[in-house]
Amino acid sequence: MIEFQNVEIKYNDFVAVEAMNFTVKEGEFFTLLGPSGCGKTTTLRSLVGFIIPSKGKIMVGGKDMTHLPVEQRKIGIVFQSYALFPTMSVYENIAFGLKVQKLPKDEIHRIITEMANKVDLNEQQLNKNVSELSGGQQQRVAIARALVLKPNILVLDEPLSNLDAKLRGQMRAELKRLQNDFGITTIYVTHDQEEALTLSDRIAVYNKGKIEQIGTPHEIYNKSGSRFVCEFIGDINRLNEPVLRQINQQTGRQFDLSKPGYIRLERISLSLPPAIHKPVCLKARVVENEFNGIYTKYTYDVDGVLIRNVEKNDGSMSYINGQEISLFLNADDIMQF
Amino acid sequence: MNTNHAMKRWLSPSRLMGIAVALFLIWFIVAFLMYPNLSLLLKTFIKDGSFTFEPFRQLWHSGKAMKSLLNSFILAFSLMITVNIAGVFLVMVTEYFDIRGAKILKLGYFTTLVCHGIILIAGYQYVYGPSGVVTQLLMRIFSDLDPNWFTGYGAVLFVMTFAITSNHVIFLSTALRRIDYQTIEVARNMGASEFRIITQIVLPVLKPSIIAITILNFHTGITALSSPMIQGGDHFQSINSIILILAGSEYSRGVAAALSIILGLATFLILTFLMRKDMDENFTAVSKVSSRIQKKKIANKPTNFLMHAAAYLLFVIYLLPLAIIFVFSFTDSYSIANGIISLDRLTLSNYIYVFSQPNGYKPYLVSLFYCLGAAVLVVVLCLIVARILHKSNNKLVTRSLEYATLIPWLLPSSMIALGLIYTYNTPKWLVGNYVLVGSIWIMLLAYIVVSIPFSIRLIKASFFGIDGSLEEAAKSMGAKTFYTFRRVILPMILPTALAVIALNFNGLLVNYDVTAFLYHPLLQPLSIVITSSVSENAVSSEVDTKAVSLVYSVVIMIISSISLYLIYGRNSNR
Repeated sequence: MIEFQNVEIKYNDFVAVEAMNFTVKEGEFFTLLGPSGCGKTTTLRSLVGFIIPSKGKIMVGGKDMTHLPVEQRKIGIVFQSYALFPTMSVYENIAFGLKVQKLPKDEIHRIITEMANKVDLNEQQLNKNVSELSGGQQQRVAIARALVLKPNILVLDEPLSNLDAKLRGQMRAELKRLQNDFGITTIYVTHDQEEALTLSDRIAVYNKGKIEQIGTPHEIYNKSGSRFVCEFIGDINRLNEPVLRQINQQTGRQFDLSKPGYIRLERISLSLPPAIHKPVCLKARVVENEFNGIYTKYTYDVDGVLIRNVEKNDGSMSYINGQEISLFLNADDIMQF
Repeated sequence: MNTNHAMKRWLSPSRLMGIAVALFLIWFIVAFLMYPNLSLLLKTFIKDGSFTFEPFRQLWHSGKAMKSLLNSFILAFSLMITVNIAGVFLVMVTEYFDIRGAKILKLGYFTTLVCHGIILIAGYQYVYGPSGVVTQLLMRIFSDLDPNWFTGYGAVLFVMTFAITSNHVIFLSTALRRIDYQTIEVARNMGASEFRIITQIVLPVLKPSIIAITILNFHTGITALSSPMIQGGDHFQSINSIILILAGSEYSRGVAAALSIILGLATFLILTFLMRKDMDENFTAVSKVSSRIQKKKIANKPTNFLMHAAAYLLFVIYLLPLAIIFVFSFTDSYSIANGIISLDRLTLSNYIYVFSQPNGYKPYLVSLFYCLGAAVLVVVLCLIVARILHKSNNKLVTRSLEYATLIPWLLPSSMIALGLIYTYNTPKWLVGNYVLVGSIWIMLLAYIVVSIPFSIRLIKASFFGIDGSLEEAAKSMGAKTFYTFRRVILPMILPTALAVIALNFNGLLVNYDVTAFLYHPLLQPLSIVITSSVSENAVSSEVDTKAVSLVYSVVIMIISSISLYLIYGRNSNR
């Protein structure tokens, strides 16, 4: 559906995006994830047509879109600020693109009513000024405004970043529902790894203008392709030489002692996991515990290396600082680059 | 194929429209902002094809002109001190100290926002002038008092000090309200005295605003015209009032031009310094949660009494001209000339004359044509320029445009007026060989020119305040540039544009500086009629000229109040 072929984008002498290659399948929810300034929004803006790449091609449905004007690309966009026109009502905002297309008034009304139903906006809300709506309602208006023109692609540039944590969670679910209902190919830009993991079919992790890894959320999290991806996605333990040496002694797998190993917090356990044939056991001392309600995050000292894990709160067990315990892990869960 | 495509793009309606707009802007800037001023310089310094300092030699030998130069600088430096004392005091009594009746006091101090310019200067003359109410009262007490006691440097300084505190009322009050009260509380908590808090916490935060206002006041002082003309008498004329006199004669025009060049240089230096200060110093509250300033009670009783007394004395000084203008607008020349306020002499005939007789409402129509016309046209022009400044990536274009629009700010009004007069008193191809001097258009053009810097500053800020993604959103939905501008950008700019129209209209209604040089003798605007009426010799067989001019002043004040309410009042209620 969408194909970036060796795309390079420059701002004067600065290369913002370098040799970008990826494809997005039809109906897919594809996320560009990375820290601020890594080039993800620049990539998105080149797809929409606000920026013309200095090299390479952007193909959509087999057609070269690289130099096509914005208005001819049939791409709906939802901005970080939503970019709702403050001088217009909700209805007028959604109708804007339809009026540009000079559709008859009745037709416009029919389309808007239909769209409003789909995004849960009632008639009263349609007549309000956009400033009178809540953050969540504004997001729905922005999506409705983009979708009402029946675009081939929907792009969303960090649409949840202005919302508070609770609303962000609700809106995430709503966004996923809308994408499923409309079945539209969606490109989503975010720096929030949790958002990317929960929403996406596939994720492209960006770093300094390049893609580090493309994969499903499961692959990105469990089989991170690089040290950057490993550290950027989720919380992780960095295992240094003394710990790796102990692990090498207990398993057949031999880790390179000159490089750190990485293991997710939840892959370390305080009890012996039943499914593992040859578990690694590390003697540790509790140095810190952080109770978070659903779970407790522990920090241990293993041969001078600090290792963390999380334990589900079952209401009974709790370890105190200074207590000596055993940690269990599977050497196959350790990633090394 | 590619050549055809490129040709089509070049000849597209939007491209042609862009070229037409660019050509119009270049013509306007060259014809009215650059050429007249350059022409004035050339005419002054080039005689018979060679460079000459003759106008400056004449100026050096003209005692009156040199005196005016000295007077203007003395006045400007004096105003830097007196306006700040009055301005800071009235801001402190209304915003910082707990003074009884502060809200009423504030109303009195705010009167300079609606009663300003030539109206206020004339108003002071009706209070302290030879036939003024206060003068008449004083003469009853001191029988040998000279009726012309209120003339010269002291009178001009007094009037201008209280006439130009508007900047303090608007900007310094806002700056004071933005002070984080917690910084004052923490100073108190550390045992700082009230004096130390004011001098070391409050005033340093206000310093950038005070410096900016001081420089603006210096500029107002050095370019003063109406007050020196009305209250200055024979011994205290300013540069501008001498320029106005000298510009009338062919022989002395060179000296007038030389004076206006000196004035221009002084203004240029002041504004360059101001802009640098503007960029260098700007304090912003660093606290995450700032708290509103709370008024401080003055614990020391004698100090408290003195502060109250001074605050109410200022209130009376501010309100008196306004009240006298209002009351005298219902009387006749005899009452005005003798400073008599009597119920027997009150009449509505002045108002009836102004609103029913063609000669009565003609100055309104003239002012309406010039002021509203210029106010609207300058905003249209500035919308185009600001849009280019906002959208263009070409730094050469944006910088040239920006500097060009600042030219009227860097030059005194008298120089702009003289430039236009000396340039367009003969046919010039730039304006289709039309002689502008003596036509009704020259003053309209001058009004537009002098209003550009203020208008462009506000409209440009409004453009840059718009979220760029709004335009991109419209574009992504297929809207063309002009459609996006009309449907998305313009409605957002409109409140600012309307406010600028109203503020320009208010300012131009009482403009005397440009008007005095360029008005058409048969089409006298309100400011000229009001100034003429202040003269002791102002008589007319047909009507009570003095009283009628006061009606004009009252109506202008009402118009100013309504426009200020429409701009600020309604928003502040939201």
